[in-house]
Amino acid sequence: MKEVMIGNFAIARGLVEAGLELAAAYPGTPSSEILPGIVESKKREKLNIHTEWSTNERCAFEVAFGGAMAGRKAACMMKQVGLNVAFPPFLHAYAKSIKGGFVIVSCDDPGPQSSQTEQDTRLLAAHFGIPVFDPASPKEAGDIAYYALKYSYEHKTAVILRSTHRVSHARESIELFKPGSRKVELDEGLKYKGKGKLGIVSSGMTYSITMDVISELGLEKQISLYKVSRVFPLAPEVLQFVKRQEKVLVLEETDVALEAILDHGAKVLGRRSGHVPVEGELTYDIVRSIVGRVAKGQGMKVPEFNADTSIETALKEVKVTPRPPKLCAGCSHRASFYAMKSAFPDAIFPGDIGCYTLGTSLGAVDTCHDMGSGVTFASGFYETFSQDGTLKPILASVGDSTFFHACLAPLYDGALKKRRFILVIMDNSTTAMTGLQPTPQTGITADGTPTYSIKIENIIEGFGIEFLRIIDPYDIPLMLETIKEAYKYLEKESAGPAVIIARRECLLFSKIKDKDTRDMDRLVEECTGCKLCTKSFDCPGSYFDEEKKKICLDEGVCIKCGMCYYACPTSTEGKSLKALKKKK
Amino acid sequence: MNLQIVCAGIGGRGVLLASTILIETAIKAGLKAMASDEYGMSQRGGSVVSLVKVGDFESPLVGRESADILLAFEESEFYRNLPSLKIGGTTLINTSKKSFSTDIEGLLKQRKIKYFFLDADAIAMKKGMIQSSNMAMVGFFSALKISIFTFEKIEETIRQKVKAKLVEKNIEVFQAGYALAHSS
Repeated sequence: MKEVMIGNFAIARGLVEAGLELAAAYPGTPSSEILPGIVESKKREKLNIHTEWSTNERCAFEVAFGGAMAGRKAACMMKQVGLNVAFPPFLHAYAKSIKGGFVIVSCDDPGPQSSQTEQDTRLLAAHFGIPVFDPASPKEAGDIAYYALKYSYEHKTAVILRSTHRVSHARESIELFKPGSRKVELDEGLKYKGKGKLGIVSSGMTYSITMDVISELGLEKQISLYKVSRVFPLAPEVLQFVKRQEKVLVLEETDVALEAILDHGAKVLGRRSGHVPVEGELTYDIVRSIVGRVAKGQGMKVPEFNADTSIETALKEVKVTPRPPKLCAGCSHRASFYAMKSAFPDAIFPGDIGCYTLGTSLGAVDTCHDMGSGVTFASGFYETFSQDGTLKPILASVGDSTFFHACLAPLYDGALKKRRFILVIMDNSTTAMTGLQPTPQTGITADGTPTYSIKIENIIEGFGIEFLRIIDPYDIPLMLETIKEAYKYLEKESAGPAVIIARRECLLFSKIKDKDTRDMDRLVEECTGCKLCTKSFDCPGSYFDEEKKKICLDEGVCIKCGMCYYACPTSTEGKSLKALKKKK
Repeated sequence: MNLQIVCAGIGGRGVLLASTILIETAIKAGLKAMASDEYGMSQRGGSVVSLVKVGDFESPLVGRESADILLAFEESEFYRNLPSLKIGGTTLINTSKKSFSTDIEGLLKQRKIKYFFLDADAIAMKKGMIQSSNMAMVGFFSALKISIFTFEKIEETIRQKVKAKLVEKNIEVFQAGYALAHSS
């Protein structure tokens, strides 16, 4: 039977067919769909597989590692920067450390498209001597997932399956087999045989693009192409291939893994020779231009591709709506940020990783380094000012899933050391950014069975934090007053951190309730054209009509939450908020 | 037969379902087909691009000025993705407009691009299904009879891929899109 599916579902299927018994993951784009894929396959095949969303990547890694030590066929899944969180156990996942099987799926994000940094998992794998596979398509990702688990079980070593977003999120027709019956041979070796002038070594999605580019340029008989699937340990045949070529171009994402292993000085062209860009995704156009240029340099006739710049010239005259990433219309995070910014416009705003990183556009997020860093940075900033004998408003923010993931130790530290900052926990009861996975507070497990819920407020109270408020962020005036009240508390010498839980369900999770919708006519009718709300509120539900000189609603996007009234200086709500701002 | 299709629109308007219908239709006809989706960071209202390659390809990615077809589910996304369309390509644009500015018309003429306007949103709205303007687009596209993408074949896929309770309404919008192509 065949089915069209994304690469991540193909990986899930491959692992399940190979006899997976235990799977643990923390969501992160582009890896998030693998665990749900495993849940679906286990239900369909009626298999007993333990599946869990762990609280963070280290938990996921160690649960799977522990299972593998005890003889299970286990796997964990995460995004590339998630692997950093799992570093301590990762250092010990070398050969002979397990009795069962252990596949680490780490999804890289060339670009990056939805990460703070690019990072090449293959480099870490090679550095620590862990075999790493780099599939070139969803189909191969499924095959390699199957192969990798068998390989791991046989060799008693952890194995890494490195995917990239183009593999994880591409879709094609995948053949499904009965568990245990898939036949997989590693698809490595010579794909085109040229004349020895130029060889290309490539892996991953870049290999697939290179195939298409070579065929577009008609160079099939001139360039030799070697496909690599297992980047480390590299098969000796690859080195022999390199020897036979006059020049070798290495095309890979994201960093120099193959290139570093192959290192033949001036013979090998790639990132270090300046032929391949050192950052960003290798798009079709970039691969076409690299292959074209290098082939030409080796004396081959290559059809010229000159971009038709008249397209851009004509487009200059058209108004194209810019679409930068924004918080959804009606998102309660926007309301929280607006209250934070209104209460203390000059505060320091340490932020965190999640949807609410987008608070940058409201001027209420100054840092977004890594999961949990908002709270610890707040501590560092507090200590800096405290040393000089000053107290500054520091307003940190974090979402609920990230709070559980990485903020317990930082906040415990902050409480213990009596650091005087405000932490707003934006609790929308889900992991919205990555596709609505449950948090430890949600009360359901990865396969949908109910479990108990750990309440954030109980943790805060357990830390002995004195100032704790739980507020609906849609009540912007109350949020503003509470933030001011929190700062008043911080002025006391004996104070510790003040925590405000801004609690409202994510709109992607639950539709807006009728009682929360507002009549929006007034916004447009009373608009004086000052445009302040477009900057300070930045909601995709409205736009400024330059002809009418008025704010207009995008009916398909606006959910009529009415929060924007508070950002309008002429509305009753805006005026009352202004009065509250002035109040001491 | 090799065909490269760019589906471009904004979140929540069914771009991915449209590309799913195209790729499934191609696969059912025995062709090799792949898709690559880009949906960026925003869940709703952000740009969404889905690339579909049918035929003898290894990757689902499309180079500049290489696409045979650009299905633009929104006007700004049409402009944004126009550089991917090849000389002599075909494009469908969901807009209430009836003409382009002279600069754009000149460009399309110079690049021998066939273009069709259709107000897919209005068609869908008329059927009380604003969310299914994608079906009007696919319906209109089926009237162009490109390769295996015929009305019958696509309808069959819609019936398999769309949720049972929404199928009939979706088919209605699909048919309306198809009919519009024949009347215009």
